[in-house]
Amino acid sequence: MIFNGNKNNHNNSGKNHVGNNLPTKIHHVTITDPDTQSRAHAGTTPQHSGLPLKNTTHRRWAVTGIFNIIFIPLMIGIIAFASILMIVFTTWNTATAKNSVKRIGIESIKIARLVRPNDMKSGGLLFPSKREGQFVEAPRLATDVKIDISGPIVRTIVSQRFENPSKNYVEGIYVFPLPENSAVDTLKMQIGDRLIEGIIKPRAEARKIYEEAKIQGKKASLLEQQRPNIFTNAVANIGPGETIIVQIEYQQTIKQSSGLFSLRFPMVVGPRYNPQPIKHTVDFNNNGNKTAGWGSIDPVTDREKITPPVLDSSENAIINPVTIKVHLAAGFPLGDVKSVYHSMATTDENESTRTLELVDKNITADRDFELTWKARGTTPNAALFKEQIRGKDYILAFITPPAVRPQNHIVKNRETIFVIDNSGSMGGQSIIQAKFALSDALSRLSSKDKFNIIRFDDTYELLFPKAVMAIAKNINRARNFVSNLEADGGTEMLPALQASLVDNNTGNNEHIRQVIFITDGAIGNEQQLFDAIASGRGRSRVFTIGIGSAPNTFFMRRAAEMGRGTFTHIGATNEVEERMTAFFDKLENPVLTGLQAEVQGGILSSVSPDPLPDLYAGEPIVLAAQMKSAEGMLTITGDYGDQPWQISMQLDNAASGKGIGRLWARRRIASLEASRSYSNDSKNIDRNIEVTALDHHLVSRLTSLVAVDVSPTRPKDKDLVSKELPTNLPDGWEFEKLFDRADQSPPMMQKTRAYQKASYQRTAQLMTAAPNPQITRGLVQNNLQAVVLPKTATDADRNIILGAMLVLLAALITLITAMWQNVGNISRQHALAQAKREYNRLP
Amino acid sequence: MVLNISKRKNSTRYLAITIVALLGIAGIALIGSGLWIKAKANLAQILLNQAFEETVFSTLKSGIKPWYWADMKPFARLKVPRLEVSSIVLNDISGEALAFGPGHMVNTPVPGENGTSVFAAHRDTHFSWLKNLQLGDVLSVERTDGNKVSFKVIRSWIARYDESGINADSSSKRLILSTCYPFDSNTPGPLRYLVEAEIDHTTAISSLEYLNR
Repeated sequence: MIFNGNKNNHNNSGKNHVGNNLPTKIHHVTITDPDTQSRAHAGTTPQHSGLPLKNTTHRRWAVTGIFNIIFIPLMIGIIAFASILMIVFTTWNTATAKNSVKRIGIESIKIARLVRPNDMKSGGLLFPSKREGQFVEAPRLATDVKIDISGPIVRTIVSQRFENPSKNYVEGIYVFPLPENSAVDTLKMQIGDRLIEGIIKPRAEARKIYEEAKIQGKKASLLEQQRPNIFTNAVANIGPGETIIVQIEYQQTIKQSSGLFSLRFPMVVGPRYNPQPIKHTVDFNNNGNKTAGWGSIDPVTDREKITPPVLDSSENAIINPVTIKVHLAAGFPLGDVKSVYHSMATTDENESTRTLELVDKNITADRDFELTWKARGTTPNAALFKEQIRGKDYILAFITPPAVRPQNHIVKNRETIFVIDNSGSMGGQSIIQAKFALSDALSRLSSKDKFNIIRFDDTYELLFPKAVMAIAKNINRARNFVSNLEADGGTEMLPALQASLVDNNTGNNEHIRQVIFITDGAIGNEQQLFDAIASGRGRSRVFTIGIGSAPNTFFMRRAAEMGRGTFTHIGATNEVEERMTAFFDKLENPVLTGLQAEVQGGILSSVSPDPLPDLYAGEPIVLAAQMKSAEGMLTITGDYGDQPWQISMQLDNAASGKGIGRLWARRRIASLEASRSYSNDSKNIDRNIEVTALDHHLVSRLTSLVAVDVSPTRPKDKDLVSKELPTNLPDGWEFEKLFDRADQSPPMMQKTRAYQKASYQRTAQLMTAAPNPQITRGLVQNNLQAVVLPKTATDADRNIILGAMLVLLAALITLITAMWQNVGNISRQHALAQAKREYNRLP
Repeated sequence: MVLNISKRKNSTRYLAITIVALLGIAGIALIGSGLWIKAKANLAQILLNQAFEETVFSTLKSGIKPWYWADMKPFARLKVPRLEVSSIVLNDISGEALAFGPGHMVNTPVPGENGTSVFAAHRDTHFSWLKNLQLGDVLSVERTDGNKVSFKVIRSWIARYDESGINADSSSKRLILSTCYPFDSNTPGPLRYLVEAEIDHTTAISSLEYLNR
C-alpha cells in the first residue's frame, strides 16, 4: 500500500518538475532570443545605413529559414530514430535466438518440421510434437543399408541412428515404409546402453506387454504393421540425449519383367522433397534464390513447371547421411548391372556375383534406390529353390514363359478407359509425367479401338458420356482435355473407380475392356477400393501406372492383381516412353490365363499366390508352395490365347535357398488378406493369418514384434555415463558403420556439426515435453501435473534502459538547439560588428 | 514579414522545449521506477531477515510478518556460500511477493522433505546470481523450524514454464531454483532456467545441533 502511495508522490514530483522547468526555460529563451534583439536593432538602424543592414537582414533571414527547414525534420528524425532503436532493442533478444539458425546457412524449414507417420517415404524416428496428431522427425545421424541378393530372394538390413535431442524421457515412433510384399522378421535396437530384440506375439498381447513395460519405465519397443507397406515401431523411455539405433531386417523377392531383374529401396526423405504446391507454397519461397523470382511471374500458368525443390546433394549428405552396400549373387552370369539413380562402385567376385557400394554420400534424396540387372547371354527363364523348415519343404519357382506367338493369334480391339489423377498430390513433375504417359497411350490407339478419359481429384469428370471410337477428332479433343489438366484438390478415387468399371455392353466379345489408372496412389482407403474392384470388375481388367518418385506401390500392385492387370511404374519423365512401350507390349500380346500348378508324385499342399494370376508377356510366374517333401514333377498348365499351354520341371533339381519359408508365408498372408475381400468367414481367415505369421516370425496385421531386453551385463570397470558402444555386442549386432563419419572434409564436418546443433534445438523446441517414466505412471493414475513455474522477470532493467535513452534524447535535442542558437548569435554579432564598423566609418 | 517569421520561430521553439522536457521527465520517471524495483528488493530483504530470525526463535507456528501490512511470511533462508549470497525465501510466489524475495511454490514440499521443492525468483534481482552457479555448488537452506539442509547442484537446464517436467512427488529429496531465461533479455518470455540440486546428507545438521550452537 505505502509503495503505491510513494509511486504517486513520485509522479507528483515529476509534474512539479514540469511546472518549474517550463517557465524558466521559456524565460531563458526570451532573453537570449537572437531574433528579438536583431528585430529591435533592425528597427533603429535603417536610418543610418541602408545597404549594409539590408545585407545583414538578408543573411539573418537565410539563417532562420535554414533553421525552420532543418530543425523540424531533424526533430522528427531523431524521435523516429529513437523509437526504432527502442523497438529494435526490446525485440533484440528474441531475434538473436532465431538468427542463430539462419546464420549457419540452413533454413529451419529443412531442419525439422511437423509430419504425420503416413507422410514418411523412408525410415525415420518421430517424436510427438506439441500439436496433437503431428510429429517431429528426429535428426538422422546415419543410415546404413545392407542388401543381400541371393537368387530370387533379397534380404535387407537397415540400421539407422538417431538421438533424442530433448531434455526429457520420450516415446518415439520409428516409421518405415517398405517395398510392397516384403516381410519384416527381425527388429534390434540399442537405446542408450541397452540392447533389445523383438519377438513375435499376437498383436493385442504384444501391445499389452509393451504398455506395461512403458509404465514401469523400462526400455521397450513395439513393431506393428499399420498398412501392409507401412510399419511403425514405438520406442518407450528414450532418455535425454540418448542415442537410438534401430535395425530392422526384411525380405522380399526380386522383380522380374521382360528379362530385367530389379529391386527398390525407399530413400525419399519425407514429404518435404516431394512437395505439394498447394500446401507448401510458403516453404518454397524460403528455399533460396531459385524460387525467389516466382512471385513476379503469374504463378498459375507456370505452376506445373515448378520442379520440386530438391536438396543440394551436399546438403543431403548432412541431413540424410546414407551408406548402401549391395551383395548381388544372381545365380546366373551377370550382364548389365545398373543403379538407376545413384552412382555405385562395383567389385566383381565372379561372373555371377558382384558387390556394389554407394560411391559418395552426396546422393539425391528425392529418388528411391533402384538396382536393375540383366543376364549375360540368354536370360534364364526358370529357377527353382527349396528350403526345409521344421520337417516341411518350401519351394519357390520362377518361370518366364518364352515369348512364342501362338498360331492364329488375333489382336482384339480394345475399349480402353483411362483414369487420370489430377489431385494436388500429383503436382510438379508427377502431373507432367502422367500427361506424357496418357498422350503416349492415346497415340497408340488404333482407329478400331474405343476409349474414354476420366479425371479425378475430389470430384470426377468423364470426357465423353460413354466410350467413343478412337478417331482423329475424338483423339484431338482428348489431347486438349489432357493438356488443360491441373493438379489441384483432394483425392477421391472411389467414385472415379466405380465410374470406370461401369460396362455398357458386358456381352461384347469383340472388344477387350481395359481400365488404366494413372495415379500416385496417395490415398488412405485402399481396402474400400480393393473391394470395389473385386465386386465391380466384371470383364474389365484393371492396370495401374504409378507416377512419381515414390508412389504407393502396395496399392498399385494389389489393385492390378485384383483387377487381373499389371502394374507399371514411371519414376522420371525420361522413362515415360520406354515404360509405356513395355506396358503396351503386355496389352497387345496374348495373356496366359487359368494357370494351375500340380505335382505328379507328390502333394502340393499350399500354393501361393492362390489362385495364380494371369500372366502378361515378359512377366514370370513366381510360385511359392509348401510340401511334405519336395520331389516329383511340378507341372503348370493354362491357356495361352486360345491354345492350351503347359510347362514342367523336376523338383529334385531344386537348389537350396534361404528364407523361402518366410517368403511363402508372406505371400500366403497376402493372398489370405486379399481373400477377405470376397469371403464372409473373416474370423477363420484371421486365425490362419495369425498362425502363419507366428510360425514364421513375421509382422502382419495381426502380429507384432515386441522387444525383449537382451543387453549383456556391462563390466563394472566400464564407465556408465559413456555413450560409446558396448564392446561386447552379441553376434549379428553390427553398428560400426553408423558411427563412421571420418571421410568428411573438415569444412563439411563443421557444417555437419552446425546443422546437428541447429536441428537439435529446433527438434527439441517442437517436441512436446514428454513425461518421464515416473510422471507417466502418475498420469496413468490421473493425479499428477508437472509444476508450472511463475513469471520471474521484472521491468526494472528495461525501464532503466528506456529511461536513460529518453534522457539522452532530450539532452541531444537541447544540445542541437543550443548549437543553432550559437550559430545565430555568432552570425548576428558578426553582422552587428560589421554594421558598427560601417557606421563608424561614416563621416 | 519579419514579425511573422519570428512568431513562427517562437512557437516552434515552445514545441521543441515541451518535447524535450516531456522526454526528459518520462526518462527520469522510467529510471526511477526501475531503480525503485531494485531498491524495494534489497530493502525488503533487510526487514525479512529480521522477521526470519524472529520466526526461527519464536514459538509462533504461523510465522512473523516482516512488516505489519505484508501479505507474505518468511519461509526459509537460502544461502550459497561460494557466491556469498543469502536471501530470505517467502511462502508465496505472487508477483507482489516476488518483488521482495524469492518464493517457494506452495504445491511443492518443504526443502529436505521427500520430493522436489521449487524456489522461484526474478532473474534481475534476487536470482541474478543463478547463472553463476556451478555443478557441485552447495545450496544451504535454513527452515523456519530451525532445520538446516544442504543441497548440491547436480544439473541445470532450460524449459518452457508450462513444460518444466518437474515432478514435485519425486522419490528423492531435491531442490530446484527457477528464474527467467535468457538472463540478459529485457522482455518477459516463456523460458525458465532451472537448477536442480540433490540433498547432501553429509552436511545436513539436525535442528537440535543448530539450536545448541
